[in-house]
Amino acid sequence: MKRIIKLTINGKPVETAVSPNQTLLQFLRDDMNLTGTKHGCGLGDCGACTVILDGKAVNSCLVLAIQADNSEILTIEGLAQDGKLHPIQQSFVDKGAIQCGFCTPGMILSAKALLDQKPNPSELEIRTALSGNLCRCTGYQKIVEAIGEAAEVIRMREES
Amino acid sequence: MGDYQVLNTRATRVDGPVKATGQAKYADDFKFQGMLYASILQSPLAHARILRIDTSKAKKLPGVKAVVTSKEAGLIKYGVSPARYDETLFAHDKVRYVGDEIAAVAASDPDIALEALSLIKVDYEELPAVFDMFEAMKEGAPLIHDEFPGNMNAEVHQEFGDTEAALQSCDLVVDHTFLNKRQDAAFLEPHSCVAVFENPGRLTLYTSTQVPHYVMRTVAMTLQIPVGNVRVIKPYVGGGFGPKCEATPLEMSCGLLSKITGQPVKMTYSREQVFLHSRARHQFYAEMSLGVMKDGTMVALRNKAVLDGGAYTSFGIATVYYSGSLLGGPYKLKSMKYDGYRAYTNKPACGAQRGHGGVAHRACFEQLIDITAEKLGIDPIDMRLKNIMVTGDMTVNELDMSSLGMKECIEAIRAGSGWNNKKGKLPKGKGIGMACGFFVSGAGYPIYRSDTYHSTVVIKLSEDGGVANVMTGSAEIGQGSDTAMAMIAAETLGIKLNDVRVYSGDTDYSVDLGAYSSRQTLMTGHATKEAAEDVKNQIASYLAQELNVPVASITFVDGIVKFDGGPGNFEKLRTNYIKEHRGWTDPPTGEYLTFREAARMAYLKAGTIVGTGKYKPPRLGGSYKGAAVGTSPAYGCSAQIVEVSVDLETGEITVDGMTDAHDCGLAINKTSVEGQMQGSLSMGLGECLFEEVKFDSRGRIINPSLGEYKIPTALDMPKVKSIIVESHEPNGPYGAKEVGEGAIMPTIPAILNAIYDATGVRINELPVTSERLFMAMKNKT
Amino acid sequence: MLLPKFYYHEPATLEEALRLLSEMGGAARILAGGTDVLVRMKLKIDKPSHLISLQKIPGIDVIIQRENHGVTIGAAVTAAELSTNELILERFAPIGIAASRLGAPGIRNRATIGGNLVNARPAADLSPACMALDATLKLKSAKNEREVRVNDFFRGPGETLIEPNEMLVSIFVETPPPWSGGAYIKLGARKALEISMVNVAVLLTLQSQDGPIADVKIALGAVAPTPVRAFAAEEFLVGKQPSSELFKEAGAIGVGMCEPITDHRGTMEYRCLMIETLTSRALNQAYNNAINWKPLPV
Ligand SMILES: Cc1cc2nc3c(=O)[nH]c(=O)nc-3n(C[C@H](O)[C@H](O)[C@H](O)COP(=O)(O)OP(=O)(O)OC[C@H]3O[C@@H](n4cnc5c(N)ncnc54)[C@H](O)[C@@H]3O)c2cc1C
Ligand code: FES
Ligand code: FES
Repeated sequence: MKRIIKLTINGKPVETAVSPNQTLLQFLRDDMNLTGTKHGCGLGDCGACTVILDGKAVNSCLVLAIQADNSEILTIEGLAQDGKLHPIQQSFVDKGAIQCGFCTPGMILSAKALLDQKPNPSELEIRTALSGNLCRCTGYQKIVEAIGEAAEVIRMREES
Repeated sequence: MGDYQVLNTRATRVDGPVKATGQAKYADDFKFQGMLYASILQSPLAHARILRIDTSKAKKLPGVKAVVTSKEAGLIKYGVSPARYDETLFAHDKVRYVGDEIAAVAASDPDIALEALSLIKVDYEELPAVFDMFEAMKEGAPLIHDEFPGNMNAEVHQEFGDTEAALQSCDLVVDHTFLNKRQDAAFLEPHSCVAVFENPGRLTLYTSTQVPHYVMRTVAMTLQIPVGNVRVIKPYVGGGFGPKCEATPLEMSCGLLSKITGQPVKMTYSREQVFLHSRARHQFYAEMSLGVMKDGTMVALRNKAVLDGGAYTSFGIATVYYSGSLLGGPYKLKSMKYDGYRAYTNKPACGAQRGHGGVAHRACFEQLIDITAEKLGIDPIDMRLKNIMVTGDMTVNELDMSSLGMKECIEAIRAGSGWNNKKGKLPKGKGIGMACGFFVSGAGYPIYRSDTYHSTVVIKLSEDGGVANVMTGSAEIGQGSDTAMAMIAAETLGIKLNDVRVYSGDTDYSVDLGAYSSRQTLMTGHATKEAAEDVKNQIASYLAQELNVPVASITFVDGIVKFDGGPGNFEKLRTNYIKEHRGWTDPPTGEYLTFREAARMAYLKAGTIVGTGKYKPPRLGGSYKGAAVGTSPAYGCSAQIVEVSVDLETGEITVDGMTDAHDCGLAINKTSVEGQMQGSLSMGLGECLFEEVKFDSRGRIINPSLGEYKIPTALDMPKVKSIIVESHEPNGPYGAKEVGEGAIMPTIPAILNAIYDATGVRINELPVTSERLFMAMKNKT
Repeated sequence: MLLPKFYYHEPATLEEALRLLSEMGGAARILAGGTDVLVRMKLKIDKPSHLISLQKIPGIDVIIQRENHGVTIGAAVTAAELSTNELILERFAPIGIAASRLGAPGIRNRATIGGNLVNARPAADLSPACMALDATLKLKSAKNEREVRVNDFFRGPGETLIEPNEMLVSIFVETPPPWSGGAYIKLGARKALEISMVNVAVLLTLQSQDGPIADVKIALGAVAPTPVRAFAAEEFLVGKQPSSELFKEAGAIGVGMCEPITDHRGTMEYRCLMIETLTSRALNQAYNNAINWKPLPV
């Protein structure tokens, strides 16, 4: 019952067979060995499994792998370029936005999706963009600060 | 504060980049050749006798490699405290809660394992069950453990001074009660473990735990494997907060199944199973009376606790002691009486969670102080300041406040929040409230009675001399302990932070009791410091001998070696070094001898340079029964001010701002300290406003998901102003002490006091949902 | 959390989808955003043997403005799209606001309006919003097509008028007349990721900027087995001059339409009190929006 899907993951074309009942999360973790995407609940409640699908942040535990046919996926593994951290990753590290790190990949991708749409978000917009990504460690403050700082870095980089 | 190169900075976490890029491996990320997937069969009934278990169909399912029940696992009792081992890996005579483990299966894939579980047939005889702690203690209640009549799991009675007489002598005695709800730690990473059993008889567990050491001991004991043949490796862990402080049926089942099949076995709990396993915060009922004099002097406290323990003991003995002992400070009392009861009920067992045992009683006490202050017409801050303990004070139950910046914390938040302009001056619907608290920096005694060191650390220099490898069994669970140890090692050795690597969480590296009771900064920190000093001394002695200078003249700073504070004459060493290393691409240069050069030359002389360190606290505490619980080499403390808005028409609460000051001694890493403070506040806010594990009438959890069990989202948390107060702790490494748990102590009562300020209504039951507050406001008018 | 096995279909046209649906009847479910059906399958509450994906069907995920008189929202339009679409926010505000309060961003990026309506949860966010706007639903099967008013659509928790062989293809909403204003209020515990304890959607139309109430629709969610219209309160209001006192009275009348239950999220008593409060609050908000009504810039 497996079916061939073709998609782009982190810029690389992939063609492979999946079962209909495989979620995108399982496919990424089990078949693609991209274990940076985390499983915290499987029900859409926590956001640990967030990836960017065709430019939008989605809960990969509630998307079928087969639905990702012809799509473009960005996971946490695809964000750093040539070994250099993406500005959001860098500011998460610098600002202390990471503790246990289990929510981090999802947080960073939700932040990426936000900044791609709104390069200069307000604090409320940042908090809203993260509102489906639970973090039990940080109280969110340093995450919100890190995203604000990353936004600034990205804007400055684009200006120059 | 001393003049530090590495400590007391905002150094970035050593594990930041691997976590930011998704490379950090957590237990469920591991895969091994031939790995099997396991799953556990859990009881659907809250209390029942097991009549028969038939696994024959499950065993026949293609793909199933092993099915185990108590027949295979045996009936070795285990638990947390040896005084109360009351669990076996699998239930054999009866099940005691919905979720009690009955059997486990290993199969070639997860679907098959689940299908096999559905083929195991268990015949039960349902027994009457009891779910309420007060009902459980009544005569005639269903008995959960035959050995514990009246379902009384543990009882504590302590008195310091003559409390009744002291209360009689007071101008005013005020009473208050409080009820919290069972909480879940709701860490983001569900428990997960891979067990690899290899001939001739060595078991390795890769597991999501806070306590590799205790897991090793418990698994060795229950699976009857010599303890030296069990190795526990803790990869990165996605949060613990307490419930990951003990060996789990998941770990033991994986170990057993791997032992039987000879193949690696993985199991990961579903989110629902995390709730069923529980071991998180108890439900507490608190009843207190505080006696004071007219001028606000606190005299006596009478405190009673009833704890709903669930079906097993877990950490419960310590918990029920903590509810009493942690009220001894930070206020001076002349006498204190405590009666605590922990009842068994047919629900998942409760255990330790951030602020172990202290949170609910602190919430009651700090409300009681506000109520009393109001009756006396004293500002709540002034009332606290009047009674506050300072460095050097001893609590009525003999806890030694070897450093205590409590007063400084209170003053910092008063100034930082604008309290004086707000208290009593806000419009209706807006409120401000404050509270204090303190907590241990590591338990004074291990969980099992032993003379063991609580922490040992090995530092081995790389043979090129360039890198200090810190090896420790301590557990990085997100709190930042690897970074703290790297910083302590770097500071002590006088090298750059980048030149330290930490290898942690492996029982083969060293003994460390793990991440609980906020112990690692102080205890592992001490051992790390001692190991680094050992290494440093070895190199210094070598240099002294080689260059014929006194050892005392040598110092290491920022990767270079100084002689009497200057470059000294080390020509001979450098020439030898360069001769020895012809062809190496990075010959040392500069006017100072480098640490790398020195260490390399010392190695050529002495072989691998290894330093060791160890720590255990001195004998602490009084000699009364239970005096050990609550003892610690040091205590952290904190004060918080919370501002809220209440929608008076709906009861909805918005926390607008929080100001938090914490005395952590020397802040090893300021960013990490703030991170712990902010995280504690958000857990406290969640417990106060939203969180409650709810059960139906048959003991099944109604809300075992992160959708229905509500922890705060980014929109529920306000901006927090975090103020670090640094006292000097004589018993801490470089004067450091805890922050990880104490910071949660004031949060709940500060919110409740703010809600009272906004509405004039005292809430004494959690969570303060909009409904609870609205109804209370309505019933008052 | 494993999904049980099923067959997956990805028809390229609406006709093919309808054909599949009629062939498989009750054994198939439409897969729109999946934020409900996949959860139910994981929890073993639902066990369809076929899923029919909407993702390749052209035109089902767009919002089309109808020359002056309304808007057609494709069934597969997401909550995220609704919550950011300017036309929706300007003229059909209850739908836009309700969509912005549904779940969290990742969920909103997948969750569709069709899924929310067909799901028919009593606490759903978009149902009362559509009811306050008196939306019409277009249902299609291989052989038939019919239009149903959303007010007649819901039959009970999870139950609607839709037949197993039918699909909801679009939602049509008439543009409210000048001097109309809308509001949507959701009461829950957290500020995100929250299922409503009570929700209220209101559309209020004035005869003129300072005139009496020409028309009003009040829809309430999580207060009965289906979302309900507070007809008695609406009747009471029509023709009267708006005021806070009037809205307060209307709130009290609104409660009469409801039969909320006590569950672990809240008691019946509290829910009733909140229906009253929030209805009057939503009316006030809608009124404020109505007096600030402006023609759309061309
Ligand atoms: C974490 C989380 C939070 C949530 N929060 C909210 C919330 O705050 N408020 C709220 O209202 N809901 C909430 N939901 C529920 C859900 O997201 C919404 O109901 C959503 O709108 C469903 O849309 P969908 O496209 O994902 O539906 P699907 O899951 O794809 O489908 C739902 C049902 O409708 C049927 N269906 C879908 N489209 C059609 C169609 N065009 N014709 C016929 N049948 C169809 C499907 O067969 C299925 O039975 C939440 C869900 C999750 C997982
Ligand atoms: S794992 Fe997907 S939202 Fe939790
Ligand atoms: S850092 Fe641990 S959950 Fe966010």
